[in-house]
Amino acid sequence: MNAFGLAPLLLILPIIGVLFNGIVGRYFLDADRSTGEKWSGWFGTAMAVGTFIVSVLIFFSLGANDHHAEIVHLFNWFNIPSGNFTIPWAMQLDTLSSVMTLVVTGVGSLIHIYAIGYMHGDRDFHRFFTYLNLFLFFMLILVTGSSYLMLFVGWEGVGLCSFLLIGFWFDKPKGEGILNGDAARKAFVANRVGDFAMILGMILTFWAFGSMEYEVVFESALDLYTTTETVFIAGIEFTIPQVLTGITVLFLIGATGKSAQIPLFMWLPDAMAGPTPVSALIHAATMVTSGIYLIVRSNVLFEIVRDSGHQLFGIVSAPDLVAIAGAVTAVYAGLVAFTQFDIKKVLAYSTVSQLGFMIAAVGMGAYVAGMFHLVTHAFFKALLFMASGSVIHGMEHGHHHLHEHSHGDDHEEDDFDPQDMRFMGGLREKMPVTFWVYIIGSLALAGIFPFAGFWSKDEILAHSAYGLGVGEATPVFTFVRWMLTIGAFCTAFYMTRQIKMTFFGEGRHEAVKHVPESSPLMTRPLAFLAFLSLMGGALNIPYLTGGGGEEASTPVGMTASVLAAEEDKGLNLAFEHWLEHSIQAFTLEEDFENVVGPNGEHFFTHVPHTPTSLQYDIAISSTLIAVAAILIGWYVVFRVWPRSKEDPDPISQWPVVGFVWTFFQGLPLDTLYMTGIVKNIFNPLARFSDVVDWNFWHNFVHNNLIRDSFVALADFLATVLDPKGVDGIVNGVGQTARNLAEALRRPQTGNTGNYALSLFLGVALLVAFFVFAS
Amino acid sequence: MQVTIEWYIALSTILFTIGALGVLVRRNAIIIFMSVELMLNSANLLLVAFAQQLADAHGQVLVFFVMTVAAAEVAIGLALIVVIFRTKNTIDIGEINLLKG
Repeated sequence: MNAFGLAPLLLILPIIGVLFNGIVGRYFLDADRSTGEKWSGWFGTAMAVGTFIVSVLIFFSLGANDHHAEIVHLFNWFNIPSGNFTIPWAMQLDTLSSVMTLVVTGVGSLIHIYAIGYMHGDRDFHRFFTYLNLFLFFMLILVTGSSYLMLFVGWEGVGLCSFLLIGFWFDKPKGEGILNGDAARKAFVANRVGDFAMILGMILTFWAFGSMEYEVVFESALDLYTTTETVFIAGIEFTIPQVLTGITVLFLIGATGKSAQIPLFMWLPDAMAGPTPVSALIHAATMVTSGIYLIVRSNVLFEIVRDSGHQLFGIVSAPDLVAIAGAVTAVYAGLVAFTQFDIKKVLAYSTVSQLGFMIAAVGMGAYVAGMFHLVTHAFFKALLFMASGSVIHGMEHGHHHLHEHSHGDDHEEDDFDPQDMRFMGGLREKMPVTFWVYIIGSLALAGIFPFAGFWSKDEILAHSAYGLGVGEATPVFTFVRWMLTIGAFCTAFYMTRQIKMTFFGEGRHEAVKHVPESSPLMTRPLAFLAFLSLMGGALNIPYLTGGGGEEASTPVGMTASVLAAEEDKGLNLAFEHWLEHSIQAFTLEEDFENVVGPNGEHFFTHVPHTPTSLQYDIAISSTLIAVAAILIGWYVVFRVWPRSKEDPDPISQWPVVGFVWTFFQGLPLDTLYMTGIVKNIFNPLARFSDVVDWNFWHNFVHNNLIRDSFVALADFLATVLDPKGVDGIVNGVGQTARNLAEALRRPQTGNTGNYALSLFLGVALLVAFFVFAS
Repeated sequence: MQVTIEWYIALSTILFTIGALGVLVRRNAIIIFMSVELMLNSANLLLVAFAQQLADAHGQVLVFFVMTVAAAEVAIGLALIVVIFRTKNTIDIGEINLLKG
């Protein structure tokens, strides 16, 4: 008894929701606003909850199936028997995709419920839920597809939904921030760059291994690597590490686009122009983690590159490049988050920073830690975004209230921005539920014991400090460790700043006095997510006997059977135990050819991950750093700030640091892109393209070649062929008939004598004929 | 002097030629009509002459048919001429040219 047969429902249910809201939603809304909203919102939510139930059933089925992956074949996409070329449309249900589907559908369901409250009264209520369900559909294709091609279908689909949802309020007039349409286009274009690399990576994969199915690719990659065979690409011989370095670096670029890492992260902060449920679902919890999912899914390829020691251009190996990209992003985004005043921008840079943590983790081979952080981050970042949405909603209501009672006296209309934290302050009394869940989310994000973020962040830091994934800490690991420590400090610091600005002190705008608490539809999902943020760490509480790095990577006296017995204790390492069935850790042994995996079909050994031990030194030091950041922020830096909305950030007033602050507030990388790439490269390219487009294509090809020759042809037809040819034939027929008739008219004189004469002549002729012929 | 068949043929030919010329050159409808009768009767004469010559009664029988048809023709033809005269007040065929194309 298993529920794998229900897997197609994961895709069918959201599509039903899309069709329902897309086709009849408008009529329901037009007929009756409040009933229409109920139908539209709850139908979409029901579909999301339905997929969540299916995900849970699949989760239990996997448990009952000894965690073995199940591939549900739906149909063949391409099938060319003569070329022996088949691309199936199949769903790979394993422990990794199960984790992703649970997060996507679980957090997704909560956000659907929240959105019913948040989007209340919006003109295009049904359109919002159509897109939200469409997003679920594509995201589930992404995480359940059994091949890179399936993944890419979902990858592009969620990009589309992201575009549609960022630009949801495309007709909103220009206000403080970026236009919705511009933000949507920016996200789309930035993602195109990553997606292009992704396509190249997939082509290279197919070229090298003749397939895009995960299992086939991984097996043949391992097989070719261990037998040191080479592959020919475009007629050139490559070794497997060389090919895989290319593939993994291209995948990394793809992941930087989707997961908003340096160098392609600029789109994510601007994506916050979209509705807040979208920021929570797509741009914090799910879509932006697909880059991490991609790397975790391709872990075999990354590990082969790491094992081979092959380095890109002899400088850095592909997995190390991943780790460095993540670590640098984590610090950069953390520093920028200091300088933002928009409540959602802070969270957006925080998301970029946390995604950097995950990317760094998977780059170090700490796949479980990365996935663990992905899950806990989905909980608390969705919580924070939704809570910030609640704040924004409250501020808008307060401002609306103020406006209604000011009798047209709108002296403060122009500069009010419901998302600007400088206008807030003192909201903790106005919105108690939102305040408390915000505190929980922030503590989880800052990594304070015992919240979820503590466990997952600690696991990443422990891996970086002791190299748990690969046995030893290389210099790259040390670099990553210190970068992430700085990132963790930043995290705690900017969250302190944000909470101080938003919830404490005096209200700095009249609107604050009229802010109501949000409706239960919005606060109940918040409370639920707050619970998950509090307890999420229990998924993978580390093994409690560790102490030092060496001990942890090779637990003393632990043979495989003891290890298995430890794992069977249950809750300990539940997540690691669960994921190890998908993250195909392998060792390359001397007698490699003789090793057969547990399913009998793998060419590599399937060893359990080294259990993560709680590294007391790391755990304590990182907690201390976070606590120190909070205390410094609270009692020193932001003790009296902000007194009014014009009060500048205290850090910006410090002698040297203030300069750095201003530097980061100017978004240095964005500026670098604008001046360095957009101005100096793209704009000349655009002008060049314009010349090509206008002078060559438009003037020469279109005007001269196509239009003029067409005109000449038309001219010939109109002045020569038609009057002389067609008309000639038609008129000629008539004219001939006329001429003939004119000729025949002549003998008809009407004179009887003439007729008689012709009669006689005819007779005479006939007589003559018969006389002389015979 | 023996009157042989050649005489008859000659007389018949002369009569036919006079009739034909009358049809072609005269303008009075009555005269043309008479000329037609002349041609018919020249043919009759020839039929009788050859019947006598060949001692065969078939030719003489045929003459009666021709005379019958000619009588009918005269009846219709004169009636037509009378009607034409009443409408156009002339029987000059030069004036009667309604079929002119």
